[in-house]
Amino acid sequence: MKSNAKKVEDILKARGVEINEDIIEYKIPEAHESFQKLIAIYYGMKVTADMEAPYWFNRIWWENDGDLNQMKRAKAVAGSYAHITPTILPWEKLVMSKTTHMRGAFPFPWVCGSFFNAQAQAFMDEVDAPPLSEADAVSQVGTGGGNVTKSYGEIISIAQKFGVRKEDIPVLVKVSKYWEGIAIEDISKKYGKYLKNYDQYQREMDAVVIMFDSWAIPQGREVMNYYVPLQYGFDKIQELCDEKMQTLMGEAGEDGVLGMSRGYYYACMKEVAKGLSQWAQNYADKARDLASREPDEAFKKNYMEIAKMMDNVAHKAPASFREALQMTYLCHLGVVNEDPQSGQSIGRLGQVLQPFYEKDIADGVCTDEDVIELLELYRIKITAIECFASSGVTGGVLSGNTFNNLGIGGRGHDGLSAATPLEYLIIEAAMRAHTPQPTLSVLYDEKLPDAFLMKAAMCIKLGMGFPAFMNARVSEEFMLRQYGEEGMTVTDARAWMLGGCLENSPGSWSPLEYNGKVTWIPGGAGPTAGTGIHFTGLPKVLELVLTNGVDARTDKMVFPPHNEKIDSFEKLLELWKRYLDISNDIANKVNNIQMDIWRKLTPPTVNSLLKKGCWEKGQTIADCGALYNGTINFESCGTITFINSLAAIKKLVFEEKKYTLEEMKDAMLNNFGFKTAYETGVFSPDFREATEDAPKYAKIFADCINAPKYGNANPEADSLLKWYEDYMAEILPKLRSYYGRPEYMCQISVSTHGPQGFVTLATADGRLAGTTYSDGSVSAAAGTDRNGVYAVFESATVYDHSMEQNSQMNLKIHPSAVKGQTGTRKLLNLIQAYMRKGGFHVQFNIVGSDTLREAQKNIDAHRDLMVRVAGFTQYWCEIGKAIQDEVIYRTEYDEV
Amino acid sequence: MSEKALLFDIQSFSTHDGPGGRTNVFFVGCPLQCRWCANPESWLRKKHLMYAQTVCKYEQGCRACRNVCPYGSITFEESGKPVLDWKICNKCYTFECVEVCPNRSLKQCVKEYTVPELMSTIRKHSFYWDENGGVTFSGGEPLLSHDFLANVLHECQKSGIHTAIETSGYAKEEDFLQVLTEVNFAFIDVKNMDPEAHKWGTGVSNAPILSNIEALTKSSWKGRLVLRQPTIGGFNDSKENALKVIEFMKRLDLYEINLLKFHRLGGTKWEQLGKKYEYSDHGDVSLEELEELQQIYLQNDIACYVAEETPF
Repeated sequence: MKSNAKKVEDILKARGVEINEDIIEYKIPEAHESFQKLIAIYYGMKVTADMEAPYWFNRIWWENDGDLNQMKRAKAVAGSYAHITPTILPWEKLVMSKTTHMRGAFPFPWVCGSFFNAQAQAFMDEVDAPPLSEADAVSQVGTGGGNVTKSYGEIISIAQKFGVRKEDIPVLVKVSKYWEGIAIEDISKKYGKYLKNYDQYQREMDAVVIMFDSWAIPQGREVMNYYVPLQYGFDKIQELCDEKMQTLMGEAGEDGVLGMSRGYYYACMKEVAKGLSQWAQNYADKARDLASREPDEAFKKNYMEIAKMMDNVAHKAPASFREALQMTYLCHLGVVNEDPQSGQSIGRLGQVLQPFYEKDIADGVCTDEDVIELLELYRIKITAIECFASSGVTGGVLSGNTFNNLGIGGRGHDGLSAATPLEYLIIEAAMRAHTPQPTLSVLYDEKLPDAFLMKAAMCIKLGMGFPAFMNARVSEEFMLRQYGEEGMTVTDARAWMLGGCLENSPGSWSPLEYNGKVTWIPGGAGPTAGTGIHFTGLPKVLELVLTNGVDARTDKMVFPPHNEKIDSFEKLLELWKRYLDISNDIANKVNNIQMDIWRKLTPPTVNSLLKKGCWEKGQTIADCGALYNGTINFESCGTITFINSLAAIKKLVFEEKKYTLEEMKDAMLNNFGFKTAYETGVFSPDFREATEDAPKYAKIFADCINAPKYGNANPEADSLLKWYEDYMAEILPKLRSYYGRPEYMCQISVSTHGPQGFVTLATADGRLAGTTYSDGSVSAAAGTDRNGVYAVFESATVYDHSMEQNSQMNLKIHPSAVKGQTGTRKLLNLIQAYMRKGGFHVQFNIVGSDTLREAQKNIDAHRDLMVRVAGFTQYWCEIGKAIQDEVIYRTEYDEV
Repeated sequence: MSEKALLFDIQSFSTHDGPGGRTNVFFVGCPLQCRWCANPESWLRKKHLMYAQTVCKYEQGCRACRNVCPYGSITFEESGKPVLDWKICNKCYTFECVEVCPNRSLKQCVKEYTVPELMSTIRKHSFYWDENGGVTFSGGEPLLSHDFLANVLHECQKSGIHTAIETSGYAKEEDFLQVLTEVNFAFIDVKNMDPEAHKWGTGVSNAPILSNIEALTKSSWKGRLVLRQPTIGGFNDSKENALKVIEFMKRLDLYEINLLKFHRLGGTKWEQLGKKYEYSDHGDVSLEELEELQQIYLQNDIACYVAEETPF
């Protein structure tokens, strides 16, 4: 129809009518053949765990028993990588994976083993597996795609997700035995128990008021920094370590506590470089071996190219775009294999690799199409990164995703637009090669070129849920607020990036020398921007205030009874604050202990090479080596469910006095006369099956549903959100992290609004027991925003988003609303308006609920369908049912 | 400023009704009664009830609306499905049932606005429009509320707000010009060039519509006019009709038309209002057929847009 468009244009031009956009949209070319071949293999792959790396880690660790912990850790990690059997698939141009399997991961019994040990041991003893922990029991793992949710044949399902070969189980049991009672979870529990009220923590965990322990995923929610390996290469790094050791070993400098550690740091980094180098070398050797036995000339040539590339990557600083990309991927794997991890961000890769791309194009070494192909293949590589953790973590929190986020745009070292030509190709590759990872995040600034933003908006329309847009100015303000006391400058504030989905993470600039010039490249400069207090279910705390501290679901006491008469709304808030304080106090202490034990026993080692500050200072992340350390936070869940519940109680009980608080509580305890989600098996907030009691509660239920709701530009509800945000910004910095720095609020729910909703009774906003909480932190609760998207934006921006690490706005728009190139423009304009208003983040599901419902019924026919859940995109078939229901029920704009 | 108007919706981020992202204001009342109408709730020019069966939870046992109606309009089938006596409901002005329905299945869909009230919402929305955006007055038939609308348009002009209208064009010429000459952008429907067919499909003759369009082109109005045709299979999808539209447009030197694709999204609303929807199984036009019609227009140097593929 291109000719029609041309004709229309001619007619309008002749009439002097200005045309703003081409009428016909860009037709996206198909992905390259290599991508199509490899993604087909990926679709058929199961998620696996194997014992190769843990076996070697365990062995090398104990061989070095008695050495310094950081050296044992460096040798065991690096040595285990050097022993992973390389696998290279035909059509690959980038190589390597976490384990020998494409979707492989492995257990870390030295961190936590309880959730799989019992299961493995039960298998060995041929008895039934013991019950799951509370969080695991209420979390759901998606049953489709590559998840191995049940054992079959010779494959044992572990943590409802990982397939382990039967013959590996004895190895798992044996390796785990070494760590019985001395894993991070055990030692940290031991010290936690020195706290008199440790039981309080356990009670909250059992009630799922808070969601999981810090050691479950001790690293991640942070940003990679590839500067050192890109600048030097592994041989040179080893030389530099030798030099540093000669000047620093035995020298404390001015620091009587950590000064001496500098010498040990470089000794460890030498081991790390050696191990990573060997890992790469093994792939070079493997490729040569395959080439020698390959009859097909094209494949043979491909293997030889891989061999050459990996030879160089193993030893030298990269000398081409392809080598540089491979090097960053190697380092990325090196970090994500260190611990159970999610949210290890790739960073602003298109800015980091721009000098390499620029040189190759100028030299005619490769074309844009070659680069796009590599970037397409890179997408499979990142998508295949799995995290080995309990079902409560992988299903309940992560929905199986590992959130390897790639940022584009933002501002540069010079304060101008940082968007690079390579970033256009990164978007292009994502548009051609559809995979959930890496998710793309636009670090939005008014200075970014329009063509860049339009391209990003075009990509959103493909329905994969990304790029998400994050507000650079808001984030930079937050950076200075949080890291100013550590000396962050305005320039460094601009180097920020999301760690994981939405966790603003501090960065810094490094001077990369390449192609005869210096380029300031951004990279991570802080440890995990998480691992504080995990996912406090705000509505659950409110429920416990009403039930005087007793969890009505389990009939167990969670908080000490307050025994107070709640005769005013202010009293209600006061008691909620009191319970939150109790929770925060103990949860913060326990998590601090967990993370401190973790860093003391198994200090991060590869990551300590890849973080700005560590290399310069000669200290690991454990010893505050990173440039900025105030990264630890409080994570919330169910914000809007909480706000709407407050709004309903305030209006119906305290203002209009239509019902007493007792009547409200009675209605909540009786689920407003409906069956619970546990009884019906349907977790969508939309499903309500009446019981005989329904007529008794009909009136109060309708009033609760019709009470003021956030998201309608209604001050009655919105003012409560502002009160809440201001209050949290005031109290959280009083909490100190294990790094001795103030904490702050992180408002990502990830998938926890599923399991935490599951354990929560009906709420005063009319949400029924067991159904999911509202998603995001500023998305309206599904079906409650009746005044359109502008009103949601008005409500969301009643407070200053730069007070907190993030906010989260999920929107669902029907594809027909943004059709055509003019539709792309309108979508972009909508995003820009929200950013101008001070919104931190917005992302879209541009998919019809009809499509999702059909896909839920017929999962196999939709293997490649993806949706945005929280700050990540995931295959529909690999998401648990509760979250599927919730996504379907989100309000769809432009639904007639 | 004391005038009030009845609106059945104010829609945010409206993307198909004028340039940019817009706010779309839907008036109630319509002099036409198109057999395929997608917004039949706009016909009644009063507050009235709608019942959305698709979100009613009677199958899950909800009986919240039992014994609520003081006029005894709501009874229940054996399945538990509420049955409304529309003769009673259409006269209702108290809407007790709406208060108790937790599913928004029973809803009162029309709200009264004063000019300042409407302007306050429009001004709030204006933050989110882009430079091309603005407000579109739609319906129903906005011209039925021409005095109110003229005041709103005046207020918009004072604030530099871009205005557009979607109208059937069926109004007294004086009222029509009073409003149309004050908007920046107009969509006027030309549903069928044949007066008889037009009357059959919409209940009224097309003569006043065509003469109003002509009067507008002869006025000093400088706005942009795009004709619109909701294309209904078997009614106005013929080549003959297209040629007649072209002849009409050529005579008036008009050069933009938008052919809309018939959809059934409003079908359930007929049921919600207790009416039968006669276009439930026919009237479809394929995209290919629309593109064939587009060709005819283009050959005649008329910029013809199909469905949402518009240059604004």
